[in-house]
Amino acid sequence: MQDPRIRIAAAAVLSLAAFMSLHGAAAVFLWWLVFTPRLQLAKRIRLVFSLILMIAFFSFALELSGGGGLSYFTRMTVIVLIGMWLFSEQKSGEFLSIGVWLFGDRAGFELGIVAEMGMQSLVSVTADLDRIRMAEKIKGMQWEVRSLVPAGLVLVHGALARAEDTAELLAVRGYQHGGTLCPKFLTRPLDIVAGTFAICIFIFSLIPVSEFFILYQ
Amino acid sequence: MGVPMVRITLNRVYAVRDQWSLSASGTFNEGVHFVSGDVGSGKSTLALMMAGLLPLSGGDIEREEITTSMLSLQFPELHVTGLSVAEECASWGVAPDEILDAIGLTKKKEAPPLSLSRGELKRLHLACVLAKDYDLLLLDEPFSSLDCEEKVKLCARIGQKSQGICVIFTHEQNILPRVKRIWEIVDGTLVDCGAPPDAFTHWHHVPPVIKKLTALGSRPDNISPDDFLEAVCRIQG
Repeated sequence: MQDPRIRIAAAAVLSLAAFMSLHGAAAVFLWWLVFTPRLQLAKRIRLVFSLILMIAFFSFALELSGGGGLSYFTRMTVIVLIGMWLFSEQKSGEFLSIGVWLFGDRAGFELGIVAEMGMQSLVSVTADLDRIRMAEKIKGMQWEVRSLVPAGLVLVHGALARAEDTAELLAVRGYQHGGTLCPKFLTRPLDIVAGTFAICIFIFSLIPVSEFFILYQ
Repeated sequence: MGVPMVRITLNRVYAVRDQWSLSASGTFNEGVHFVSGDVGSGKSTLALMMAGLLPLSGGDIEREEITTSMLSLQFPELHVTGLSVAEECASWGVAPDEILDAIGLTKKKEAPPLSLSRGELKRLHLACVLAKDYDLLLLDEPFSSLDCEEKVKLCARIGQKSQGICVIFTHEQNILPRVKRIWEIVDGTLVDCGAPPDAFTHWHHVPPVIKKLTALGSRPDNISPDDFLEAVCRIQG
């Protein structure tokens, strides 16, 4: 999907649809199958498997403690798949363009720059995590639960250091607020089709399907 | 029968990532090797591939008589696994007291490693790495975050290594150890420039000081500050 405005709006409504109902999640999953590169994404974003495993763990605990675990697992996994697609399609500078397009040169620019920094941080954290795992391998250590504490400390420390560097850089360059930008977007017909289907799925997720079947019986 | 020689050979190795690529062929024998290249040219990628930590897009790497290897990553914090400086030393299998005394960090023995400055952490990391002998030692930007005094100490420490292959990947140009062979990455390809001083004639990343001394008719024999000094002395008679 080329147009980031449609992509982000679609991701937002699809996430809501998947969260609100099980049939909504099923429809979003179908949308994901039709409109995204699917497994190619999963290969590129290996963190997804860890996230799904984590959701599975909590869902299992939920199922044991009072039920609803399967529904939770389905809905959250579909949200993760949508998030994975959004993250992989994102290109540098798009948040800034959308921010300015939505809210103008001052608030929009600032919101956009914060979102860009957040995305950049996410990319850096992923790269750092890969290197940390390599470093542990170098020391002859196994990647296990105990590794999470030092790895987490290194990741947080790195993210804070980078944020400080960026803040200093902006201050040195005299940045105070806002900025000028002329956002340009490329909209393809398929973007509009996918976006329209996303809205339809959102409306569909609001329909109480189970009640309809009860009435039918 | 002679002593078996350690050797690592890159056979048409290459890595491809989006629009970027790196190809490398050549043999690294025992001794200190110097790999130079611009930022982003692929030095770290090559180091990771030589360490066997990054899958190759093509080609293969032959390791002869290499039983132990070590890669020091550019950013020392990525290596941190201990919650205190002493614990970090122990994670490398070295005695904390001896190492910390040698680098002047004894007082910070119980401090969290990430509370050290980048320079202190780099010193700690390099001291732990260099405390042991490896058949293959790969140092990715070992001079970054170090001041001149520490760079000189590191060069001396690398110079003391009498066995194994040591490959230094860096864009440092001023304070360097004496090396056996010079390589560089140019336009995505690893080029063997040869042994110094002959390597200087076709080395794209030749340090300015060598260029200057050569122009003055006194080419240094190698790339260490001692060699530069000796070349200066030759000019002055």
